[in-house]
Amino acid sequence: MKSARYNPPQRMMDKMRWAVLVAALVGLLPAAHAGNWEQPAGDLAKQIAALAGPGLARLTIRNESSLTAGEIPAIRRLLERDLRGFGVVTGGSDSATLIGTLIRVTLSENLQGGLWVAEVLEGTETRVTMLPVSLGAAAAVSSGPALTLRRTLMITETEPVLDAQLFSVGTLQRLVVLEPERVVTYIRSAPVLGSGMASGSWVEDQRFVIAAGRPLPRDVRGELVAAPDHLFEAYLPGVMCSGTNTGAQIAVACADSDDPWPITGSVGGAVGQRAFYNALRDFFTGVLAPGFGMELPSFYGASGIPRPTGTGLLLNTVDGRVMLIENNGVKAVSGANDWGSDFAVVRSECGSGVQVLVSGSGAAAGGDSLRAYELVGREAIAVSAPLPVEGAVVAMHASENGTSAGTGATVVVRRDAPLRYEVWDGSALCN
Amino acid sequence: MDRRFVISALCVCLTLSATARTRPHYGGTLRIETAGDPWQMPDGIARRLVLDTLTSVSDTGGAQTALAVRWESQNAAHRWEFWIRPGVHFQDGEALTSDTVAAALTDVCARPAARMGACPWRTVRGVGPSVVFVSDSPVPDLPELLAQTEFAIARQDASGAVIGTGPFRVTGFANGALTLVANDDCWSGRPFADGVELRTRRAVRDQWLDLSVGKADVVEVPPELLRQAEQQHLNVLVSRPVDLLALTIAPDGWFASREMRQAAALAIDRTALYNVIFQKQGEVTASLLPQSLSGYAFLFASDRDLDRARALRGGATTATMMLSTADTSVADMSTTGQLAAERLALNLHEAGFNVQAVAAPGSRPTSALALRRVHLEATGAQAALDEMLARFGQNSTVTGTDAAALWQQERGVLDNETIVPLLWLPRAWAVGERVRDLRLLSDGAPDLSDTSLEGAR
Repeated sequence: MKSARYNPPQRMMDKMRWAVLVAALVGLLPAAHAGNWEQPAGDLAKQIAALAGPGLARLTIRNESSLTAGEIPAIRRLLERDLRGFGVVTGGSDSATLIGTLIRVTLSENLQGGLWVAEVLEGTETRVTMLPVSLGAAAAVSSGPALTLRRTLMITETEPVLDAQLFSVGTLQRLVVLEPERVVTYIRSAPVLGSGMASGSWVEDQRFVIAAGRPLPRDVRGELVAAPDHLFEAYLPGVMCSGTNTGAQIAVACADSDDPWPITGSVGGAVGQRAFYNALRDFFTGVLAPGFGMELPSFYGASGIPRPTGTGLLLNTVDGRVMLIENNGVKAVSGANDWGSDFAVVRSECGSGVQVLVSGSGAAAGGDSLRAYELVGREAIAVSAPLPVEGAVVAMHASENGTSAGTGATVVVRRDAPLRYEVWDGSALCN
Repeated sequence: MDRRFVISALCVCLTLSATARTRPHYGGTLRIETAGDPWQMPDGIARRLVLDTLTSVSDTGGAQTALAVRWESQNAAHRWEFWIRPGVHFQDGEALTSDTVAAALTDVCARPAARMGACPWRTVRGVGPSVVFVSDSPVPDLPELLAQTEFAIARQDASGAVIGTGPFRVTGFANGALTLVANDDCWSGRPFADGVELRTRRAVRDQWLDLSVGKADVVEVPPELLRQAEQQHLNVLVSRPVDLLALTIAPDGWFASREMRQAAALAIDRTALYNVIFQKQGEVTASLLPQSLSGYAFLFASDRDLDRARALRGGATTATMMLSTADTSVADMSTTGQLAAERLALNLHEAGFNVQAVAAPGSRPTSALALRRVHLEATGAQAALDEMLARFGQNSTVTGTDAAALWQQERGVLDNETIVPLLWLPRAWAVGERVRDLRLLSDGAPDLSDTSLEGAR
């Protein structure tokens, strides 16, 4: 219940306060950016001063980079200030005829990042100095109608990532990253005071080389699975690795293997299903162990999914269909035309409590996406708006917590220019 | 930033991000058509499919592992050691060894036609699992240089056919088509397509016709026809600028003096060439490297100065000189190259030079003036400058590593006025509907080994 107040604040006043706050924040932006350019501006000013020497000069700045026009005045102010510190006093363009030295600064860039170029023109002589400058970047999230999808960046790698999972030993949490040729483990660094982060960043701890007996296929895939009697198992085409905890460290042993990959956990005493993987291609052969006593087509991925009558098996076939196996029958799932090749079954507190997180099919122009669906009968119904993904989703696995459906999913996104692989933790939140 | 580059870069980015996101399918035959020779040095499309290099380049310019798994420089980059990837086999089953690698690279350097400049090392030999390069001067960017296809590792099999360790092997050539099949045991993974059919020496007009009726999957789009391709709603992938159009001036005869060469360079109207002949594609340049790669290309003035050109030439009447089109990379340049050469001859005539354009495609320049189109593979600024100097026959190695040092060295070369860069041009490919995940490599070549076909199983 609201308490009565004398002359309560009006909405218009709220708006004005917001406007003032927004204006203040906008006003702070250039200052924030200025902070980024403080060091390079100082360095370039020093280099310019070494060429020009103290005295009057005219300064021009041209932007040939991806910097926004709004950032240029701040850079100019910093340069002018720092040049003054070195005895180079810059005048306006009206004094051009009186000033013999022209300093022409071009904010350029190349494939490695920013490149600030200063030309010092005195008479017919031109001297040039250059400074490589780091340019920054940012990220974003989105929301949907019934559920909101959230993704949190865990780690970025330059090598391809096949899967990444968190495994806990006592109080120590390890991030295990599976790559085509190695397993890399990370532990959290201590949080930095004042950084606003409750935990530190992931720091590489150990790495193990995976020696495959034969070449891995293109579009190589792999999976990390929690093991009942040791820490984890890593499955790759034709190779299996076992990760064991040896006190403070982890040991990983790999060997050639055609063993089927686990696709569902053991539920209610029932034996989990395993699927044979085609080690020369990028899909499962369709042969399951122990299987359902029926012939299945080749498929890209499969996952157990809680159903009203027990646990079903959801799989997406190589020819683009989504199938549901339950009650000893195979049914086609409708409404899955927009599904890509990667999905993960996740649990949440909303809706039916079980959602399928799905990558985009490639039908839409632009980048990839993530979207949550629920299976109602044999129909897939979208329960979130698509969450745009910059790049392409190349792998998705339910988070490993010992059950067939985790509370989130590991999503691996390939991004280009420069090529890198981002590992995201994707989950569904109730609206 | 140059708007044209932004648009080009956007095209590339869009194509990259628009790659289909369902998993690639295996099977089918990719049908490619080109106007050039797929085996031509240095960048023939078939060479990339059959052969591998010791290293590859990342899109930011650094060297990545390929047939070599690691490398180390010693003695201030005078000596380099590259460790060969174990378990790699040629397409005839013979194991790749450090000795076969050394022999292949020695063979590249022994062939005079293979490379305009000398190889950047004095000796190369196999030592156990590694290959050791020794050079007289430091070669700090050797890992990047070895990624160039001219240094691809090849050998001849028992029948004398050229084989490599790449994702495809050649099975035949008939009716103007080179056929290749997937190498199932390729160290980098079997390609998605079962095979590639490469129809060669096909006129661009015929290529486009074949694409429109579904007889081809990937065809060429010359930069001057990009607008036309857009009007015809072709699905086009455009690379960053990878081909340099340049005028070379032999420093003898009328052009023995630097002033005369400078006069010729100042007489060139690059903007007209860009606007009229190349339909505003690529970027006007006076640099050996594209602006996007070096970040300093704008420092080289590209404006025409006819008055100064005339003043430098003086009143002397020159004899009629030939301007040949010697194209080293694209065979279908003959028509466009001839038009460009005629325009340059007109520019030079306005400055008082008597110049006549003659066609001499596919050959080394024989006349004092030659219009050349030179391909660039490297993506790192230092390796790229090294590559361009070699392509133009300059026997010097880039020693500086930072942008300012590279600019100084490039300026030193260009100040001689024997090379006059004119335009940086992109490469483009039109793609059929059933092609999935086609990406362009950093030098504009299509990456066919990672391409799959819709509906294939």
